[in-house]
Amino acid sequence: MTDLSLGGRTRPDRDRVLRLLQDYGVHLGVAVLLLVNIAFTPHFLSAENFRTQAVQVAPVLIVALGMALAIGSEGVDLSVGSVMALSTSLLSLYLGYGMWIALLVAVLGGIAVGVANGALIAYIGVQPIVATLALMVAGRGLALVLLPQLKDVRDPTMASLGSGDLLGIPYLVLIAVALALLVAFVVRRTTFGRQLLAIGDSRPAARLAGLPVRRVLILVYVCSGALAAIAGVLATARLTASDPTSLGNLMELSAITAVVVGGTPLSGGRVRIGGTVAGAVLIQLLTATLIKHDLPPSWTQIAQAVVIILAVYAARERGRR
Amino acid sequence: MLSVTGSAGPPVTGSAVLSVAGLGKSFPGVRALDGVDFTARAGEVHALIGENGAGKSTLIKVLTGVYQPGEGEVTYDGSAVRFATPLAAQHAGISTIYQEVNLVPLMSVARNLFLGREPRGRLGLIDFRRMHREADEALRGLGVRVDVRRPLRELGVGAQQMVALARAVSVDARVVIMDEPTSSLEPREVATLFEVIRMLRGRGIAVIYVSHRLDELYEVCDTVTVLRDGKVVHTGPIAELDRLRLVSLMLGRDIGDVREEGLTKFSGRHDADSQAVLEATELTVRHQLDGVSLTIRAGEVVGLGGLLGSGRSETAKAIAGALPPDAGRVVVAGVPVRTGSTPAAIRAGVSLLPEDRKAEGIVPGLSVRENIALAALPGLSRFGLVDEARIDRVVDTFMKRLRIKASGPHQKVGELSGGNQQKVLLARWLAMNPKVLLLDEPTRGIDVGAKAEVQKLIDELAEDGLGVLLISSDMEELVEGSDRVVVLKDGAVVEELTGDAVTEDRLMRAIAATPAARATTAVPTAPGGDDD
Amino acid sequence: MKPNIFFRRTSGRTSGRASAHTLLAVGLAASLALTAAGCAKSEDDSGSSGDSKSGAAEGDAGQVAATPSAGADTCVIGDYGAEKLDLKSATVGFSQSEKEANPFRIAETASIKAEAAKRGVKLLTANAQSQFSKQISDVQDLIAKGADLLVIAPLNSDGWEPVLRQAKAKHIPIVTIDRKINAAPCKDYVSFIGSDFVEQGRRAADRMIEATGGKGEVAILLGAAGNNVTTDRTKGFEEQIKKKAPDLKVVFKQTGEFAREKGQQVTEQLIQSKPGIDGIYAENDEMGLGAVGALKGAGKKAGDVKIVTIDGTKNAVRGIVDGWIDGVIESNPRFGPLAFQTLDTFTKGGKVAQDIVIKDSAYTKDNAESDLGKAY
Repeated sequence: MTDLSLGGRTRPDRDRVLRLLQDYGVHLGVAVLLLVNIAFTPHFLSAENFRTQAVQVAPVLIVALGMALAIGSEGVDLSVGSVMALSTSLLSLYLGYGMWIALLVAVLGGIAVGVANGALIAYIGVQPIVATLALMVAGRGLALVLLPQLKDVRDPTMASLGSGDLLGIPYLVLIAVALALLVAFVVRRTTFGRQLLAIGDSRPAARLAGLPVRRVLILVYVCSGALAAIAGVLATARLTASDPTSLGNLMELSAITAVVVGGTPLSGGRVRIGGTVAGAVLIQLLTATLIKHDLPPSWTQIAQAVVIILAVYAARERGRR
Repeated sequence: MLSVTGSAGPPVTGSAVLSVAGLGKSFPGVRALDGVDFTARAGEVHALIGENGAGKSTLIKVLTGVYQPGEGEVTYDGSAVRFATPLAAQHAGISTIYQEVNLVPLMSVARNLFLGREPRGRLGLIDFRRMHREADEALRGLGVRVDVRRPLRELGVGAQQMVALARAVSVDARVVIMDEPTSSLEPREVATLFEVIRMLRGRGIAVIYVSHRLDELYEVCDTVTVLRDGKVVHTGPIAELDRLRLVSLMLGRDIGDVREEGLTKFSGRHDADSQAVLEATELTVRHQLDGVSLTIRAGEVVGLGGLLGSGRSETAKAIAGALPPDAGRVVVAGVPVRTGSTPAAIRAGVSLLPEDRKAEGIVPGLSVRENIALAALPGLSRFGLVDEARIDRVVDTFMKRLRIKASGPHQKVGELSGGNQQKVLLARWLAMNPKVLLLDEPTRGIDVGAKAEVQKLIDELAEDGLGVLLISSDMEELVEGSDRVVVLKDGAVVEELTGDAVTEDRLMRAIAATPAARATTAVPTAPGGDDD
Repeated sequence: MKPNIFFRRTSGRTSGRASAHTLLAVGLAASLALTAAGCAKSEDDSGSSGDSKSGAAEGDAGQVAATPSAGADTCVIGDYGAEKLDLKSATVGFSQSEKEANPFRIAETASIKAEAAKRGVKLLTANAQSQFSKQISDVQDLIAKGADLLVIAPLNSDGWEPVLRQAKAKHIPIVTIDRKINAAPCKDYVSFIGSDFVEQGRRAADRMIEATGGKGEVAILLGAAGNNVTTDRTKGFEEQIKKKAPDLKVVFKQTGEFAREKGQQVTEQLIQSKPGIDGIYAENDEMGLGAVGALKGAGKKAGDVKIVTIDGTKNAVRGIVDGWIDGVIESNPRFGPLAFQTLDTFTKGGKVAQDIVIKDSAYTKDNAESDLGKAY
């Protein structure tokens, strides 16, 4: 440090540190927040508290998984929040047939939105941001047509899905973890996952290599829609009410933040599921910290913005090299 | 304000309007221009030609203020100038017409024509009536009759180009630069364009004309400057330079030079008596290909010769399904293939190594392994799950066979050298067991050693029974590597060289040959360029 | 090769066929969703939303009383520049701001309709669906259709200039309800009838003091940021606590954005970090119900944490009956009787106040069960 002659050698060291920060910065952030909270937040170190944080983050994480796929294909899915609303409306409308039927219909609704998104993007060539924005508006509208106002859910199976647990782990958390493992497996081990990454990295090359670009893109948005619908079902189960007016509001931003903070570049070609999980947890902890210390609500937004800027800055540094 | 009367007036070659002296321009790793002298004179149509990377576009960008000169100076109207922006050059009287129309598609034709200098009435409002009248007159003068109130995008591309032209010539330009203006025009529109060019010349405007179409150059230009590798290799009246000489200057291959055989790694001729593995018939793509037919037999390397823009890459892309043809058939090993579909072509056994390796070939962020396995992935999967062990075997085989140099199969392809990237792409296709390989500039931009290796590989593949189509701007490579050479010009086959006729001399002669009354220029003017 | 404009055109041709696919797909998606609605079968509703209209009507019966503040500014028809007319033969236009998707709006519209029917007045209605530009054209339509009098629930306070000018030209009296517009009373419009949100906050504070005994720590679930309802309800509550119960401390203030889910999430964080919290003041019923959900989830029992909310929806009042909620301050949506009474007096030539505060009732353990029918 005092030895200036080291100038030539510190450069690669700096690069290595930077790369480590880019790849594991989000995990580091989670660790730091945990330590800060353990030290300064009363009653933080309790099973109940961890349970609360895990349960709250579950729906965000599930949506973020789909978002990671969309972003990995060099796209984005802005309709996820509206899909959650649509899913809660459909769920409420079909609960009369029992939870499983209603759940199926809700997920089918999400898949239908995904098909529409994917078709607009893959066949007509509409920019993902525009196509999914259209579905974001239309989806919320449709949700409110189907169910104009908040309605309580009294189905006992739904209630236990929302608040029950298995061996002390809430169902919501189990489902989110299972889905994260599933999506990670899909990205790593399936033909679809590989093709998705190639398409996200270089669409012209993927096309010339004969990949089924359209089919893959549609499947990406179907996955995203289905995951958002599942998140909508779980959020409904937890609230024991269908609230299409506010459920999923700004969810697209939380999900994009989780994905980007987790190290998935917006330019596509790479999907980091572990990072996405950590990104979602980071945002949850950040919000929880600020709320628990009763800092003004606007601070939460500012803090989120700072985290996003840091993540994007790191990504830019990566792109430079 | 515009008229084409007195079109073919005698050239009034006047004083220098725009010139550069000792111009140099470098980009990281590239010397784009080196000591270039160039003068455009009033009343002169000056052809500027050269192959890819010769420096034409850099020169034009310096002239129009897009780039600043590295060394040397630009003289305009007798005094040294430096255009800070393209707008400054435009205001000074230098108009440019690009191949792609750069106007506002949603605005009306008249608005486009007068953009930024609309006729104003009282109160400073746009005088639309006057604008529409004058726009109509200006376009009529160019033989284009359209409703000038309609949005520009509703017009055909030819008509749009005419609007751009009318705009360029109506702004009191002293220099008009045309960058491949005919590439999307109908023959009739080309004839109109030439009339306009002659009219401009008659008015004492300096025209700089960039094109690869020799016939056009000889028809409309007075002077020619040939660029190669950033240097001027020739400048003078075009009438004093015959076509063959012009081509040899462009390509940098002298006629009659004693040629040493064996500088490339090609072995020579292959057995060509076998079955046709690819038959492409009458491939036609509007403005790009005009009924191209060719046959490749198993074990044969067929070269595709021609200048830049002659339709070589387009032919390869049309065969590979990447460019949907308007007409034509492709038959692989006796089985017709659906055109316009890359997956269909690949299933039939056709593989394309694209010219733009970085943008269309490799997937830079993925590893060597993933890149090699990319096309063959469905075959290396079971129930949608990737069979990693099989991929490892395939990747290992090809990395060894093609001697791909990488730190390992997991290195990112974007980090490899050009030659190794090319080998990765070859491996990707060989993993598919193709019948036909279409190689578009397989050795461009890779170092000498890798080049020799790739050439040797091509040879070996042909010997293994593949049909190979080889596109190369390197005359030597083309001639030595091919058993036959099909020569393209303006999107059509003009000659096929076989056997002993496969020589650089013959190839250049074929490229330079005067057309036998080809349709591009021979059709008389029929004004009324209504759009489609 | 350089990109050629024709390449794009040709690919455009293939996408012509593709767009048919897409239309099909989009259409399928839409029809799926619609058929979904067609054969839907939801859970039995035992009266959560179905009977809200009757609730509104019931409530109306005893709700006419307002609190005309003596000595405040008033308005008579001469000052406004309109002419007397008989309300019974007049046409009244009503412009609602938001979709009738929440209990408040449902009850508000129902109350206006019910009162018009009761008085036998011809009523024209329009709903702006939360779009201000639509509300402007709605009102212009109402005028064009021959409305002699206007009742407006404005979406915004600003931007009413063009409509006011038009109404002025035709001498149409305007009464605005639930939200004020930025214009001169008795000149651009006659009167504003609404709730006093600061007063609601004060009354909520009174309930909280009573429930907690004036000691301990309370939390506030704020409404959406930057909303005047949030600001006023917070201000009234905090001032009153400071004045009447200095031993009651506000230790936590976080936004629940007027939504049940956010209210639940914030309360979950609250009870983790401050397990000893004594009371929660939710600035609307939904957040209060979210807080109840969080408390239940954390294993608390009814009454462990005192909850006071504002609005007066059925679900919240039922919460009192169940013992989870200690008080609900009503924000009265039933403007019908008061609006028509004001118009009646005004058009007959009588004096009306420029600012009329509607009376908000309240629900506690004592009246929740009996007055549940009045909740909206």
